[in-house]
Amino acid sequence: MLLRLDSVQRHFGGVHAVDGVSLEVERGAIQGLIGPNGAGKTTLVNVLTGYVPFQAGHAWVGADELTGLPAFRIAALGVARTFQNIRLFKELTAIENVLVGMHTRRRDDTLAQLATLPFFRRDQRGRLNEAHKLMDTVGLASRDVGDRPAGTLPYGDQRRLEIARALALRPRLLILDEPAAGMNPSEKHRIRELIERLNADGLTILLIDHDMRLVMGVCNRVAVLNFGRKIADGTPEEVSTDSGVIKAYLGSGGEREVRSAPGASGVDQAAEADEVAGSGRPSVEPENAILEVHGLTVSYGAITAVRGASFSVAPGEVVALIGANGAGKSTILNTLSGLLRPDYGSAMFDGLDLTAAKPSAIVRHGLVQVPEGREILARQTVLENLELATWARQSGRGAQGQIALMMKRFPILGERRDMRAGTLSGGEQQMLAIARGLLAKPRLLLLDEPSLGLAPQMVDEVFRAIEEIHADGTTILLVEQNALRALAIADRAYVIETGRIQLSGSGDDLLHNPAVRRAYLGG
Amino acid sequence: MDFFFQLFSDPVGFWNSHTLLIAQIGINGILATSMFVVLFSGQLSLAAPGFMAVGAYTSVLMGLYWHTPLALGLVAGTLLAGVVGALVGLPVLRLRGVFLAIATIGFVEALRLGVILNLPITGEGLGLKNPSADPLGGINLILVSFVVVVFVAWRLTKGRLGHAWAAIRQDEIAALSQGIHVARYKLLAFILSAVMAGFAGGLEAHLNFFVDPGDTQYGVTRAVQILTFAVLGGSGFVLGPVVGALFITLLPWIFEAAGPYINIVSGAFLIAIIVFRPQGIVGRGGLAIIRPSWWPRARASAPSTG
Repeated sequence: MLLRLDSVQRHFGGVHAVDGVSLEVERGAIQGLIGPNGAGKTTLVNVLTGYVPFQAGHAWVGADELTGLPAFRIAALGVARTFQNIRLFKELTAIENVLVGMHTRRRDDTLAQLATLPFFRRDQRGRLNEAHKLMDTVGLASRDVGDRPAGTLPYGDQRRLEIARALALRPRLLILDEPAAGMNPSEKHRIRELIERLNADGLTILLIDHDMRLVMGVCNRVAVLNFGRKIADGTPEEVSTDSGVIKAYLGSGGEREVRSAPGASGVDQAAEADEVAGSGRPSVEPENAILEVHGLTVSYGAITAVRGASFSVAPGEVVALIGANGAGKSTILNTLSGLLRPDYGSAMFDGLDLTAAKPSAIVRHGLVQVPEGREILARQTVLENLELATWARQSGRGAQGQIALMMKRFPILGERRDMRAGTLSGGEQQMLAIARGLLAKPRLLLLDEPSLGLAPQMVDEVFRAIEEIHADGTTILLVEQNALRALAIADRAYVIETGRIQLSGSGDDLLHNPAVRRAYLGG
Repeated sequence: MDFFFQLFSDPVGFWNSHTLLIAQIGINGILATSMFVVLFSGQLSLAAPGFMAVGAYTSVLMGLYWHTPLALGLVAGTLLAGVVGALVGLPVLRLRGVFLAIATIGFVEALRLGVILNLPITGEGLGLKNPSADPLGGINLILVSFVVVVFVAWRLTKGRLGHAWAAIRQDEIAALSQGIHVARYKLLAFILSAVMAGFAGGLEAHLNFFVDPGDTQYGVTRAVQILTFAVLGGSGFVLGPVVGALFITLLPWIFEAAGPYINIVSGAFLIAIIVFRPQGIVGRGGLAIIRPSWWPRARASAPSTG
């Protein structure tokens, strides 16, 4: 047993980020750690590596207890990690980054430096050789990129360099926090090979990633977190067919509870294969579309988040874009709102070219986004939030009438009109964000993850509100991780996986398609 | 232009007629190095004038009251500055960026306004006579120690300590993940910087027969001047702040021809340097201004986003 966690707990205020997690990782294993967005994976890693204090529970690496130790001591004990949002020393060269990683095991040469003693030069040469070797190990051409500032390396190389820096610690346990995030399939393949190679050399690895193909393919064992608790732990096969895991990832169908989740355990493999093949048929695209998107490709620097997405929305429809975290859903919405500019592709909304228009013009044209995370003004009251939404459009009585209407539609906002928006519950804040979006008189409302971080009953209420808005004739483009919920109210839906649209069809069709599960949990 | 002309045509005469100026360059060079050490470890500390005051008053008062030799006073002042550096450094270590700058300015002003201007022993704001001063005799000591201090700082940045400092400056969280005791190394840099500033303060106090407790000597104005050394010269290499100090100290001579407009002209010149070389004179890309165009340059590559 190399790593042992015993009821580790960490709460932030009322949020139970990590709630009594126990886990054991065998020496020489590749242990996966997965869970939906916000499940507490990164918090658990931060507790384990000393960045966030333990609230309760204990952890050991080998015979050494980690509880209560500062981060640098845990690193010195041989627990190396990478970071979800790469944290290289950007202005140091790639080689220097790796040299810093050798800090704990090089002798203190501060005084020797002053005289430039011979042993120092010899040691330094040895370290340089080792650093070059480590860079070669992770697949970086150390002769070519070694002297470049780390911040100027391409994204994939930065991820690899971070792993080389972690290896420089000569760790007993390597924790990789989303090493494949934002990588294209061939880069992911190389990361997978690297993980397998390091493991073959005897390194124990704890892998956190959203790419289920990677996790399920490379790990011996996988633990699943949801709402800070461990809900499953076993081999990849056991975990990917566990009904609790499927529910955690795909969400529950709510009032329209789905008896058998798509591809849940017990489904005949052959039948599954048939259905997947059948799902290749093109779904019916509407003819009178109000929004038409063709071949949309969007990147952040070197990372391509969306690759050639095409879809359309007709007036009066609810269309859902579903897919796992990091699939590129929010990127598409932000591009439609004019906040991001695509590399290629077109997006036309009722005669307006969304790839060229200013965000303000897009809103005036009637395309309104309710952003992920709600983005309400926490210090303003509910009423002030709503008044600000009408500011640009109209003044005086018209606006007051609009706001009164909204408060009738969302009675809870009427009750809370003079409370600061930040004191509302998550679901109430979501209602406020939707109401604010509606005040802009949208002809197409983009909803980005309206159920994110909400308790189940609040999810019910938010989706009921969405259905009501739709019944009033608002066209909606909905982005959701909670696939079953979204499919239950959608007329049509598109399934996105790593930036590509993999499937499309009517909500009901997809609801029973096992390929949907694959998009989330890998095959 | 006579000034620079004499430097080449009559070096001995130049040395004799400008000894005080050369001594001031050496002292400002040490102060610039003190600034460099904290900046290199990622701490925007403006505490140097406070430590200078500790070094200056300790050495002058020991000479006045106990008649100790200059060397002993200097050593005592330097050590005491280091102790004060540890006492100030411990509580403010958690602060970053501009907050650290404000806290250290608080220290500087509290020491000057609260202590030096009030104690009878430091002259109660009227200044302090220092009959043991030796304006010209200290020049050798100043130049030698300037070279030693710059050398030490340069070598330190090359070893394990320097790598740790650089890592902390770039990203404290990542530095922790490499097993670096961030708090200890930051405190070490802070104390080392205090020691250098205290030493420079002690040396400077003996250039003059009068210790002036004014703002331009031990106050915020001086702190800003020292910071300017680093900003102007660039803080990536130890030579950057030193070149900056040389520049600032010589400004009155460089723009001699501007006559009454010298402040306007030198101000505009400094702004121009900041605008056109934001990384400093000796910043990344080296001495780009004075380097001929055919000289091989470091490859510049566009930083990637994300």
